[in-house]
Amino acid sequence: MEMGGGAAPPQGQQQPPPGAAAEAAAAPRPAAERLNAAVVQQLNLESVKTRALGLDKAISRILGDFDAYARANSSPKWQDVIGQFSMVSMELFNIVEDIKKVSKAFAVYPRNVSAENAAILPVMLSSKLLPEMEAEDNTKREQLLYGITNLPIHTQIEKLKARIDMIGSACEAAEKVIADCRKAYGLASRQGPSLVPTLDKVQAAKIQEQENLLRAAVNFGEGLRMPGDQRQLPSSLPSHLVDVLSFGDNTQNFGDNSGVYSKNTPAFTSNAVNNQGTPIQAPGAQQIGRSAPSPSGVSGTGNFDNASTPPMPYANSPRSSTNMMNTPSPQQQLQQQLQQQQQQRQKMMQVPSQHQQQLHSQQQLRPSSTPGVLGQSTMSQLHDLQGQAQQKLQQLPGQHQMQYSQSLSQHFQNRQMQSMQQNMAQNQLNQGSQLRSHLSQFTGAGNNALLNAAQASPNSQMISNISTAMQSQSFLPRMQQFGLNGGHPQRNHASQMLNDQMFGMGASNPSSMVGMQQQQQSVFGNMQTNVQNLQPGMVTLPNPTQNPNFPQQRQQNQQ
Amino acid sequence: MECVVQGIIETQHVEALETLLQGLCGAPKERVRVHELCLKSGPNLGVVPSEVRLLCDLALPTPTWTVRHVGGAVRGAAAEQICVQVRQVTESKASNNVLRFFYALGYKLDHELLKVGFAFRLQRGAQITVTVTSAYKMPKLHSTDEAVLITPSIQLVEITAPAAADNYNEVVSAVTSLCEHLAPLLHLSKPGVSTGIVPTAAAAAASLMLNSGGKTL
Repeated sequence: MEMGGGAAPPQGQQQPPPGAAAEAAAAPRPAAERLNAAVVQQLNLESVKTRALGLDKAISRILGDFDAYARANSSPKWQDVIGQFSMVSMELFNIVEDIKKVSKAFAVYPRNVSAENAAILPVMLSSKLLPEMEAEDNTKREQLLYGITNLPIHTQIEKLKARIDMIGSACEAAEKVIADCRKAYGLASRQGPSLVPTLDKVQAAKIQEQENLLRAAVNFGEGLRMPGDQRQLPSSLPSHLVDVLSFGDNTQNFGDNSGVYSKNTPAFTSNAVNNQGTPIQAPGAQQIGRSAPSPSGVSGTGNFDNASTPPMPYANSPRSSTNMMNTPSPQQQLQQQLQQQQQQRQKMMQVPSQHQQQLHSQQQLRPSSTPGVLGQSTMSQLHDLQGQAQQKLQQLPGQHQMQYSQSLSQHFQNRQMQSMQQNMAQNQLNQGSQLRSHLSQFTGAGNNALLNAAQASPNSQMISNISTAMQSQSFLPRMQQFGLNGGHPQRNHASQMLNDQMFGMGASNPSSMVGMQQQQQSVFGNMQTNVQNLQPGMVTLPNPTQNPNFPQQRQQNQQ
Repeated sequence: MECVVQGIIETQHVEALETLLQGLCGAPKERVRVHELCLKSGPNLGVVPSEVRLLCDLALPTPTWTVRHVGGAVRGAAAEQICVQVRQVTESKASNNVLRFFYALGYKLDHELLKVGFAFRLQRGAQITVTVTSAYKMPKLHSTDEAVLITPSIQLVEITAPAAADNYNEVVSAVTSLCEHLAPLLHLSKPGVSTGIVPTAAAAAASLMLNSGGKTL
């Protein structure tokens, strides 16, 4: 191996010189140029070759001796072996020195030969490229020399040089452009983007002032108010205000309450108004008729005929309760009853249809149900009262019922004291049966039970209780007594109170105590009528002979 | 109740704001032209005067009237921490004789103004209405045709959202998030609190207009 390695270098040394000196691109080795004669002479290649061969022989001889020693299994004489190695190495050194003087430029020789690289040294020393490297080299050479390979060498060289120059100039231009752009965009420098421009103070102040103006105007109306003298309606109003303001607003006459009331107007607009100057400044003069309290029963007579009368004209007005407290004269009461009946007639028109049959019957009966005419049958009056009861129960909310019940209590105490008879029980029984169907619709179960209980209880008991109740001052205990009779201790609910009123009052007369005072008065009148009509033990007896007594009794009742 | 914030924007940037809102909203803008009459009650209606606003919407072919009463704002520590004002508002449509009606009741005209602009309705956690208007005053009574701009260079932006007493926190957060979205262009605050304009408004407006330069709606 070493011999091979040692022999290869001298051979390798000879080959590169001829190849390295020439540009042997496609030229084979035999066509390589000759070295300079002097160099050749100086190299003394023949002597180098001889000496290399001699050295090779000596090394091979030593190796053979070592083989013999190894086979003989005897140790060699180390002195001789060392002497021979030193001779070999000195010889190699001399050869290398001779070459080194001359062919330092173009000769390569392995400097460090060891066991590791001895195998690869010939490959590495070879100037011939590896096959793939050689193929790659050939392709690149072809690309480079495309089109000019057929020209003479110097031409090729010039062309290649021109190409190099062009590439160089292009690179320079590109670099220049990059540098210019760097400067233009400030990328070359290390500074960041410029700061956001701030408002100068004058501008900021102006804007602040404008802003305050706008906000004040929109939110609070500052700066928009016109002095009074400028508040004149212009001659030409915008279209959306033409209809609204054209007739003026401050001169409408609302003093005629009844007129307004009866007309049932949404027409504050153009109907009967004079157009005058400044609507804005005199709105105080305007009054709406409905704000006034409702007319008294007497004065409002004419209005009730109008179908547009609202259903509850006296429901909320304070006068209604006042009227309750005042005991009108019998004539007034009579008139009121007339009016109430008319009212009720109108209300019946408004009552839902499920009661229309009864209402119609009432309407038929009503003209004859005036206090002065007592020829009617009790049953008809009972129907009438029942219908009234229905209306009142339907139309009144519970709270009003409470109010009226409380105000009614005193009112009816007086009446009942005088009018409760032993007929009450019978009345109750009779009317209870007729009322039950109606009452059950809107009364609680308790009342129905009371009704049943009242029917079940003996008359005497009821009468006695009623009579004792008559003497009591308060309304509530009476009701409680009635309630106890019926076995119902709780009478707290307002509607129950009302219904108890019905029972209480209607122990003699189950007509509805609830509702309007007028109606109540009328009821009361009818109640008195019933009281008059129903003798003890008699259920229904129209008794015309008793009619003349009625006014007298009414006077008595009102004491 | 409603949650409300107000802000101002320079007129030159209104178009950019419109573009931004259009992008947020999706629905086309609504024209706003409202004649607002502010009435104050007379002495016959109580010691403390009350204020009622009548809004006549002139954008539609048929003018429609609305009655609006603005109540007090929610107060307290919590109210001071949020940037949105929550106040009681009662609004109702009315017939076109509402002005006469209020005159009849004893109200007097305190001031009037005309607002012209546009509005967008968004649904971002709550039903939010953004109104951008310029306010006009009328030199002569009710002369809406001769109205004059109060502040030519600045317009008012108002963001309102109806709320109930139990959910106004969510509505407040929805309005606040929308305000943050509009922060580059304008600064919004409670009514009556002055804000000034935003320094980045110009750049933001420029970028908005640049992006939408080629797009026409």
